Order: sequence, then C-alpha cells, then structure tokens
Amino acid sequence: MTAPVDRLPPRPPPGRFAIGSAIGAAVLTVLTANAVDFSLTGLVTDLTRPNSVIDGLLSPDWTQIWSRRSRSAFIETLQLAVLGTTGGAIVALVLALYATDYGAPNRTVKYVLRLVNAVIRSLPDLLWALLFVSAVGVGALSGLLALFFFSIAVISKLTADTLDGLDRAPIEAAVASGATTTEMLRTAVLPQILPSYVSFVLYGFEINLRASAVIGLVGAGGIGERIQFFQGRGEWDKLWGLVILFFLVVFVVERVSIFLRRRLV
Amino acid sequence: MIRFSDVSVTYPGGVRALSGVNLEIEDGEFVVVVGLSGAGKSTLIRAINGLVPLTTGSLQVDDREVTDLDRTGLRDLRSDIGMVFQGFNLVDRTTVLNNVLMGRLHSVPTWRTLLGRYPAADVAIAAQALERVEILEKARVRANQLSGGQRQRVGIARALAQEPKVILADEPVASLDPPTSHIVMRYLKEISAELGITTLVNLHFLDLATAYADRIIGLRAGELVFDGPGSECDADVFESIYGRSLTADDTMDKQAAL
Repeated sequence: MTAPVDRLPPRPPPGRFAIGSAIGAAVLTVLTANAVDFSLTGLVTDLTRPNSVIDGLLSPDWTQIWSRRSRSAFIETLQLAVLGTTGGAIVALVLALYATDYGAPNRTVKYVLRLVNAVIRSLPDLLWALLFVSAVGVGALSGLLALFFFSIAVISKLTADTLDGLDRAPIEAAVASGATTTEMLRTAVLPQILPSYVSFVLYGFEINLRASAVIGLVGAGGIGERIQFFQGRGEWDKLWGLVILFFLVVFVVERVSIFLRRRLV
Repeated sequence: MIRFSDVSVTYPGGVRALSGVNLEIEDGEFVVVVGLSGAGKSTLIRAINGLVPLTTGSLQVDDREVTDLDRTGLRDLRSDIGMVFQGFNLVDRTTVLNNVLMGRLHSVPTWRTLLGRYPAADVAIAAQALERVEILEKARVRANQLSGGQRQRVGIARALAQEPKVILADEPVASLDPPTSHIVMRYLKEISAELGITTLVNLHFLDLATAYADRIIGLRAGELVFDGPGSECDADVFESIYGRSLTADDTMDKQAAL
C-alpha cells in the first residue's frame, strides 16, 4: 500500500483565466514602463548628481521647529483637522443613519441620501480643496470646508458598512414599543455602533491631518502653505526640517489614535 | 378587546401565513397560541401591533381598526401594546435600565431621548417594572452581562414599562432551559392577572401551554383549528393541531429528560 500522500489526487492545472491575467499584468507593466521612459540607471544618476533638494534633506534646518511662523502654521493645521473632522463626523453620522433601510423615513429620502453620500465620496481631498479655494479664496476657510467634506466621505462610508451588519432585533423592539424613527436610531442603533463610530472618527482625524498638508499646497491653509512657501524660495533645508517635524506630529497622533481605537472595539 | 374578522396574511413571495382567521379576545385574558413552526403563530401576534400588515380582513384593537392606521396611529397603537421576543431583543451594549427605558419612548420628548435625559417620572416607571420582575439590582449592569433568564425578565420589564393594555410574547421561552422557562411564564401570568393586561403567548411546548393558559388557540397551516380552555386541550386535540402524534419533542419536561 502506498502512503496517502502518493495517492493524493493530482493538483488541478491553473485555469485559463488565471494564466491570462498573470500574462496580461506582466505585459501591461512592461508597456507602461516603456511608455513613461522608466529606467533604473536614470533614477540612480539623477539622484546621485549634485542636487539641492537632496542636500537639504541631508542637512535639514531644525530651527523650523521653533520658528514662530511654522509653529502657527502647525497649529492652523491641527485646528483644521479637528474642526473639519468634528463637523464632518456629525453630518456623516446623520447621513449614514438616515440612509439605512430601517432609518430612512421613506424610499425617496433613502436614495437621495445615498446619492449625496456617493457624490461626496467620489471626490478626493485635493479636489475638494481646489474647489473651495476657487470658490471662497485662498486661506484656512477653504481648507476647513475641504476637510469637512472629506471627513463626511470617509466616516459615512465606514459607518454605513457597520450599520448594515447591525443586530436588527433591538430595532424591532423599539418599533414595537411605539418609538419614532429618530428615537429608535438613538436608543436601539447608536449604542451598538458607538465604539466603531468613535474609532472611525479618530481614523478620519488621522487622515485629515495628513490631508491638511496636501491641501495646503493648493492654498487651503495650514502647514502645506508653509511647505510650498519654502519650495518656492528653494530653501530645501528649511522645507525638510518642516517635513520631518510634520512626520513626527503625524506619527505621534497616529500612535495615540491606534492605541485608543484598539481599546474601543 | 381584540377582534380578528376573516383575517388573511400572504407574504410577498406567496407564503400564506394566516387564512380566514376569526377570533375574539376579551380584556385581561391570558391566551396561549400553539402550533408547529410555520403555522402562523408569529404572524398572528405581529398582526395585532401592525408589524405585519393584513392582506385581507379586519382587525380591531379596542376601537381602533389596525388596517386604517397611519404612521402616527400605528405608533399610538404600539405604545399600548408591549412585546416580548424569543431572542430578548435587548441592546447588549447598554445598561439594563436604558433597555427598559425603551418602553417609555412613546411618552418621552424626542429631544430628551436624543440627550439620554429621561424624565424622573419615566425612570421611576422603569424602576418599578424592574422591581416587578425582581431584577432591580441589575439596573446599572450592561445587558450582555446577564443570563438568558435574566435577559428575558428585562424584556418583560421593558414591555411592562410601556404601561400596556396588551402584552404579546412571541416564543418567550424558546431560548431558555425548563426551570427558567417556568419562571418567565409565571411572571407573564402574574402580571397579566394582577394588572389586568391582556396577554397572548406563542408556545410550542404543550405542557407549558396547558399549565399556564386560560385559553388555548391552536393554529395549523394558518388556520384556526382549536379555541378553548386549557382543560379541554388533551392529547387528541394536540394531535389535531400538530397533524401527527405527539413526541417527546413536543413537551418541555420530556424533552428535558432526554
């Protein structure tokens, strides 16, 4: 008698679709690399050539940490992230709750809210910033509005997914007791999703903090504007000092947020 | 009084859950509804508080015609009818007291509910309901910390906090062990007798049904096949309701002995 391992049925051959996809992916990678003239040698020679940007990175100007203007730019960034996230989180919760099967007062409201959510979600942070810089002008207000809408997008999506997987039994109990939809959402739904929701808000805050650096580049206030200012003047050592500082702040916020979120869920 | 007149319910998809049911239930009666699963017990109970709409027929609760009620009218009707569920339907993540206060939602202003600031009078009613099922000391405990029997008592307290005229209990002991089932049934019976609350209980265990019911209603394939006092309900009647001879699965005590 042969060992069971020798009597295993033969491994089925890979399907045509799998082979086709693998070949397709490889061909596409090579073609696109050719199309954009990618070459490793070019990368190495460009980076090793005397280069003021790299020089700045090697000797960053740490004094940016204590500069008054950089500090106020940082504070503005944090303010934008906090305000944008808080406002967005509240609106996102309402939008998500009333767009559910059980929370929508009627079909029309449900589909309108879902459409609004989908539209808000489809725009990236930078586009929101550009939109508001054009609409209300350069400055922190446009940054705040951009982060507000961006938070709605992130938080409403995550919250909506949690709401779909909810225990529906308490909802039935609330409805059977004669509660209104709003009362039902507050007493039967909110306690169930609260830990997840708070975790999503913290996550939204992390994302907004990072996004606030990017949206500053198009003039929406905060640290990004300061980074762009140094870039314009070619003061790379100061720029890198600022970027490293920003990295530290994001890192700390992220660690704290991850720690809090672990304890929540 | 609850009056079913020629009530039929057909679910979307064509399943006929009730057909041509005529039934009158007087105030303060303690009625047990028996039948196999799928016989229409849940539908019968859920028709009374409008959770399941009728396909044809008429259903009156006191002087209200359930089929005529709009959204507000339905909420008003439901505030008079407490409901107890097989799976307890508690919010696990919040306290026992908050769960029982759900029974007060119909009288608390929405803004107070949103803030979670319930009026003292409503908290007093909730506490009294918890005292009635002897679980007041667990009021500040999270619902998920309780045993099944305790959770169902909280479920009864929540229904009681509505100060209802009717209590509907849908398989309230199906998730509980036999001793706990008897405790829960005793509370339901006592509450009905002492407060004069009309009570309908769905059960599938025959011995429990005959032990507690003033009146038993038998459903088979959506039709009312028996209506009479518990004492008249012997093995032959049950066989007619179940459409087969009885087995140990049909009585809780025998099943527990298995």
